[in-house]
Amino acid sequence: MLNKNVFRTLKKQYIPLLLLGIMISLSSFVYTVMDYGVSGIYEPTEAYFKESNQEDFAISMVDLLLEDEIIYLQSNYVITEPIFTLSGLEKINRTAFEDIIDIRKNAILDLYPELTIELREYKDIFYSHQNNSHRMRVLKNSSVINLAYFVDGHHPENANEIALTEAYANQNHLSLGDIIQINQDTYEIVGFVLFPDYSLAMFSNDLIFDNKSQTIAMLSDEKLQLLDESIGFDWMGDTNDFYSEETFKDEVIQTIHNHESLNFVTQVILTKNNMRSGAIYGEIEGGEAIGLLLSLLIASIAILIVGIMISKILQSQRGSIGILKSMGYSNFQISFPYIFYLSVLSLPAILIGYFLGFLAAEPMKNLYLLFYLLPSQPIEQHLITFLIAVGVPFIFILSVGYAVVHHILRKKPTTLLNPEVSKSASFITKSISPLFKKFSIQSKLKHLLLYRSFVKFIIFIIGMFYAAFLIYLSLSMIGIFDRSIQLYYEHTEHDYVGYIDPSNPYQPQLVGDERAIELPSVLMNLEDVYLVGIDSQSTLHPLINRKDKNITGDLSEGIIISESLRLLNGYEVGEEITIDLAGLTYQSTIVGVSYEYSGKAYMDIETLSLFMTSSQSSDYYNVIYSKNTLDKNDFLMVINNQNIINQTEDMANMMNAMTFILTGVSISMGAIIIYILTVMTIEDNFYNISLFKVIGYNQKEINKMILGGYFIYGLIIFIITIPISYLAFILMTRLLANQYDLIMPFELKIWHMLLTIFMFVVIFQGGAFVAKRKLRDISLQEAMKMYQV
Amino acid sequence: MIKLEKVTKIYQSGEVQTVALKEVDLEFKEGELIVLLGPSGSGKSTLLNVCSGLDLPTSGNITIEGDIISQMDHKELTRFRRNHLGFIFQQYNLLQTLSVRENVEVGHDISNDPFDVEEMIEQVGLTPNINKYPYQLSGGEQQRVSIARAIVKKPKILFCDEPTGALDEENAKEILGIIQKLNEQYKTTVVLITHNPSIGIIADRIVKINSGEVVEIITNKTKAKAKDIAWG
Repeated sequence: MLNKNVFRTLKKQYIPLLLLGIMISLSSFVYTVMDYGVSGIYEPTEAYFKESNQEDFAISMVDLLLEDEIIYLQSNYVITEPIFTLSGLEKINRTAFEDIIDIRKNAILDLYPELTIELREYKDIFYSHQNNSHRMRVLKNSSVINLAYFVDGHHPENANEIALTEAYANQNHLSLGDIIQINQDTYEIVGFVLFPDYSLAMFSNDLIFDNKSQTIAMLSDEKLQLLDESIGFDWMGDTNDFYSEETFKDEVIQTIHNHESLNFVTQVILTKNNMRSGAIYGEIEGGEAIGLLLSLLIASIAILIVGIMISKILQSQRGSIGILKSMGYSNFQISFPYIFYLSVLSLPAILIGYFLGFLAAEPMKNLYLLFYLLPSQPIEQHLITFLIAVGVPFIFILSVGYAVVHHILRKKPTTLLNPEVSKSASFITKSISPLFKKFSIQSKLKHLLLYRSFVKFIIFIIGMFYAAFLIYLSLSMIGIFDRSIQLYYEHTEHDYVGYIDPSNPYQPQLVGDERAIELPSVLMNLEDVYLVGIDSQSTLHPLINRKDKNITGDLSEGIIISESLRLLNGYEVGEEITIDLAGLTYQSTIVGVSYEYSGKAYMDIETLSLFMTSSQSSDYYNVIYSKNTLDKNDFLMVINNQNIINQTEDMANMMNAMTFILTGVSISMGAIIIYILTVMTIEDNFYNISLFKVIGYNQKEINKMILGGYFIYGLIIFIITIPISYLAFILMTRLLANQYDLIMPFELKIWHMLLTIFMFVVIFQGGAFVAKRKLRDISLQEAMKMYQV
Repeated sequence: MIKLEKVTKIYQSGEVQTVALKEVDLEFKEGELIVLLGPSGSGKSTLLNVCSGLDLPTSGNITIEGDIISQMDHKELTRFRRNHLGFIFQQYNLLQTLSVRENVEVGHDISNDPFDVEEMIEQVGLTPNINKYPYQLSGGEQQRVSIARAIVKKPKILFCDEPTGALDEENAKEILGIIQKLNEQYKTTVVLITHNPSIGIIADRIVKINSGEVVEIITNKTKAKAKDIAWG
């Protein structure tokens, strides 16, 4: 009988209960999917990194030849062409190149003999596959560090064999034994390979790491040597356990720029801070932490709402409970149906969340593997995960439920049989009341009714803040990948970039071509940057600031940095900076910020030429920007900007789709919270609403008093959350920047704010409308006879 | 002042119909103090509800000063209650977050021509407690606050639903005395519901109700004072 009574009472609350069920399921789902999704990768990855001896750190160095290196070359080799770069030297004389590399290696090991370092060489190939532009980074096999790991197949042994990533093969419907055409060459795919220094196919500072149009690959050493493309390189390093992470930072990273003999070094980066190799560590730790945090946040809000709902239901049943107690029912007999139905309602919701999470873990893992180049294993259930995802929220919900039931049941039957009248005004109400002394009674009530139940008010505030933050976060992420990748290309006016072959320098055309210098690894205030020299009158590579103003002409006054550099290093316009390039030093001032997230810094080409050639040449260039099609035979490499844009579009579309899903989920979550809290607020105040109606207050005045306070405070929370979210985004941006030198350009625009506030108003008023409709059915006279709260 | 013509109220609960009022014809005159007397379930509360516009009759007409309130919509009824009616219930229905003065201001602020708040508080004998909160007052004192709140907006009619139901004899007599005084002083029509027959001696007329019908109307030729009620 008691069960029936509780069941019928709960049945009347089916909409809030359903929404609560969704929240509880979501809490369990988020934790389960993140935990299982990550664990399916984590375990095999750990073994793979160990087996392949993943690098502990990487060292970047300048491509530019140092002055004493040029002298060394002149005295030991016969080189007729003017050579300024190592990659240029490698094209002309491989032995001389290896000689210089050995000199640099010894310079490092002389100072840090405990380290082991090995050169990682690679060549980037741009090619067309199935009418789409693709990019391949062919890595040279290593012998000690970052060994190739074959998921399937074997090393390429002859010139027409290739190994590439399984992720690329899958996304392009390629299998072992298939033939792939790379420009003029055809290769048979003989292996699926992974390299531990590329857990993401990330070949630059851009946020491009899709595996459909990019792959790491391996050719035979001989074939790699024969490719026309320019060589790229950095050092792979092993600390041999001599240094801990902290001591390495203190004794190597912090000191390396103090040594003049190492002035070719631009950056030393620990694997954990290296996006291409170490992001997976952050992903695993961060993914689990975010999963747990999100889950806890959702669960805590849900549990608090459960507590309030049970409290409200029990308050409405206090008379019946009083009668049952007076009849001799024990507390256990009375409380059992409530706890039973709470279990019956919450356990399936939690279990549904868990099993959906388990089912979604495999797609989640595959989603990771769309980007991450890692081995995986089938997902299996773990007892610990089950206990955390199911047991913990279930026990919490039951505990809260029991605490609320116990709170009511410990009262005497006579107390329960009488309508509840508050015994006192709350401390907050009394304290705050004098502040509203001069307010009209309606305005006073608008505030005081809120503080009457401070705990509920705080839950309202927290819930609204949470909803607002979720919505702002989602909206600010819309287009994040478009901004980070494509903004640069939107501003540039050239269609092709040709990299000069020093053995056959291309002479630019009078119309449609511009000379430029690109130096991928230069020190600016001891931070590694990509330095570009362009003409201050450049029309093919204009620099546009955030206000859409062309600032290219300012290059004649100093240096222009990209927005991402400003955010990464905190540079400001007017700041003095020092550029170190292979022992040469140049001081200048930042004169502008170009609105792009390329990580580049710009100098006037003539100034840069004089600086890098020690005033020997004012017209050095290694790159041509062109509106005309460039012949690949005239250059080491030709890049078609449109191809890059196309290449990034797939990834940007996918990322945008994911962002939209996140936005949708966040907005739904926010809407559920706002709706439940609004409905509960109205129902909570039905006595006051009825009283005011009886006295003769009209709907508008009642709304002002009852909802007005919540509405205003809700609105204030949504407005206050704007700067808080803004600061949080800056903090998140800084954290990512510090951790990975990566910029995530969150943007909170005016329309985001207006839309969010509009959504709040609509959902709040919608919830209020539904709740008020329910209240209309209650007889005013009856309401007056009911308890006061 | 208030005229009921063939007023019927039927409550429908599932397939069960309950006739709460059966074709009631009744008239209350201006300045009268009427006591509606009847046992529990007799229909007296329903009668008060429909008279005051808190509920609508199933059939029949209710006219107050020429306005047919039984045909008014919710908005019009609210406006009518605001301008003409005051209510006192068995539960005091005070806002716990407001002081005595502020609770009375709740009634004061919506009236076009209200009494002075402090004067009303003085009338109910609560001046020393003007800044206290409801929880600091006794039951009788709280009911006095609700009387002040009802009267301060200068209503033409005051509906009192078992106003002494939760009080002891001494406090009950005091409350009835205040209601009687306000009725005489301000000529406010008072409709008072009770199941206690002894209270009838303070009324101009006693309307006895049973099973939804008016069974007897007694006119008191001489009204007694509330303090003289022989509490039964």
